[in-house]
Amino acid sequence: MMAGMNAWLREHPRQADALLAAGLLALSAGQVAAGQAGPVERVAFAAVTVLLIATVISRRRYPVASFAAAAVIAAAQIAFGMQNGGPGPVFALQPTNADLAIPVLLYTLAAYRSRAVSVTGLAICLLGSAVAIASWSPSHAAHPTYALLGAAAGLGGLTLTAWVLGDSVAYRYRRAYYASLEERAARLEAERDAQARIAAAAERARELQERRARAIDESAARLRRIERDLHDGAQVRLAALAMTLGEIKENLEQSPGDDRTLALVGTAHQNAKDTLAELRDLARGIHPPVLDRGIGPALGILAGTSAIPVGLTVALTERPSPAIEAMAYFCAAELLANAAKHSGASRVTLSVREQDCGLALSVADDGDGGARLIPGGGLAGLRERVQTVDGRLEIGSPPGGPTIVTVELPRHA
Amino acid sequence: MTATPGPLRIVIAEDAAIMRDGLTQTLTRRGHDVVAAVADAEALRQAVEEHSPDVAIVDVRMPPTHTDEGLRAAQAIHKEHPAVGVLVFSQYIETASAAELFASAPAGVGYLLKDRVADVSDFIDAIGRVAHGGTVLDPEVVRQLLTASRRGDTLAALTPREREVLSLIAQGRSNAAIASTLFISPKVVEKHVANIFDKLGLAPDDNDNRRVIAALRYLEP
Repeated sequence: MMAGMNAWLREHPRQADALLAAGLLALSAGQVAAGQAGPVERVAFAAVTVLLIATVISRRRYPVASFAAAAVIAAAQIAFGMQNGGPGPVFALQPTNADLAIPVLLYTLAAYRSRAVSVTGLAICLLGSAVAIASWSPSHAAHPTYALLGAAAGLGGLTLTAWVLGDSVAYRYRRAYYASLEERAARLEAERDAQARIAAAAERARELQERRARAIDESAARLRRIERDLHDGAQVRLAALAMTLGEIKENLEQSPGDDRTLALVGTAHQNAKDTLAELRDLARGIHPPVLDRGIGPALGILAGTSAIPVGLTVALTERPSPAIEAMAYFCAAELLANAAKHSGASRVTLSVREQDCGLALSVADDGDGGARLIPGGGLAGLRERVQTVDGRLEIGSPPGGPTIVTVELPRHA
Repeated sequence: MTATPGPLRIVIAEDAAIMRDGLTQTLTRRGHDVVAAVADAEALRQAVEEHSPDVAIVDVRMPPTHTDEGLRAAQAIHKEHPAVGVLVFSQYIETASAAELFASAPAGVGYLLKDRVADVSDFIDAIGRVAHGGTVLDPEVVRQLLTASRRGDTLAALTPREREVLSLIAQGRSNAAIASTLFISPKVVEKHVANIFDKLGLAPDDNDNRRVIAALRYLEP
């Protein structure tokens, strides 16, 4: 119940202050009515009371100004409103119950303003209390010392209590404020850390991508060099050897006699020719030299060697990188071979066209369909190869056909 | 058209020294006159300009780019010196290159796989045919053309023997050469040729070169 009301008061500060002001007004109303004074003095007294109460209303908005106003009124009351234990010459400045506003204002000062300000306020209040008690000086009382000490304890205690309460509220505020600042700082730091980590990861990804592209290009260039070396070295030597063996064989045929030698040379000649053919297939499997002239001529030759007729269209305005050309070529070779071997098709269409920032190669046949990606199979291997350059391979092959395999590749690895 | 006896004046363009020297020696031993043996396309053009040979033997891949310098040079020679036969030989069969070569130069051209040097007499025979204005096309190119032809249905109507004859026609063989290759009489070859041209709907032609071109056009993929 109490806790609920406290919460309500905290959430509605204006209403709380209005209640406080109403309470003070109620306490002071009797004093305005009592006492021997004329109507003008009564009105003046009421005005001072209302002024004091008004400082309670304005205390949150102007803590220092409200306190100063109340302090000035209190000082005037001490100077002109009391003397020797009785009322002073000015009726309007007699102490009033509305003076209870002063500890409220000190509390406000301590709660909402810095320590320096609130300690100054405390000092003013204690000084004022001392002066007030001294000038009140109840000499007519039975035990003046006790009365004096009691008044001092009462006023001082009230003042100190108001200050301590206010200061503890301020302390709680400050602590909450610092805690929120710390929390905010920690959150910002965590955010900065996360952003730094994301940036570092992005940088690393870019670096790895560049390295991968370099590795792919280098590997393509190396394969091209190997083919060139085979062509300039082993293949030429073997062709020259086969030519010499051919000449020896023909010479022996011209002058018959040694049939055993002729047979041996014939075998050697045939072996040399077979090896030459095997070496050529091997070299072409490493890097078809026609790729140096572009993907169009290379696919033309591929189409020419296909076991089933191939309709070829190549529409590219810009040459992809050599590594990508090689990849497109080997994809086409594998897909054409698949179509010839498995599809039962009578005709294949092979097309290469530009797409977004790369190329799309598609092989379509009029065969039986039902082609699927089987782990470890040819198509799966092809897809893995294509994925090394962030390419894609899609298969459309319903039972009964047709089969369309599309390979999308970037222009550069 | 078969090689006529008598020495030929030959220019060789081949960048691999071992093959250049081997060819030079073999052709010289067979009584031919290798007037120049060069290693690149530019030197080839100069040699042809200077010697006006009967035939130039040209490797497709030569410096500087090692792609198709030889093919370009062969086409240029045939344009500027129509009398000079050009035999292009290549490490790989490139049907499109062969088709290009034959489209621009219907006579006195040849296209052979480099391996064919191993069968020396056949190779020298091919050089002779090209030197004398004949046409030589590698059997492998013809095989690919027959396989890849979009006219597979019509070709299927040919008997195996007729297919063999068509293949030899496309390789640039004369009726006499076809007869001796297949061990049949020239009369029988003539009958096969007539049947083939009839089935394919081509006009009969006794000129060997024009006959090759007709066959190749027909087989174009």
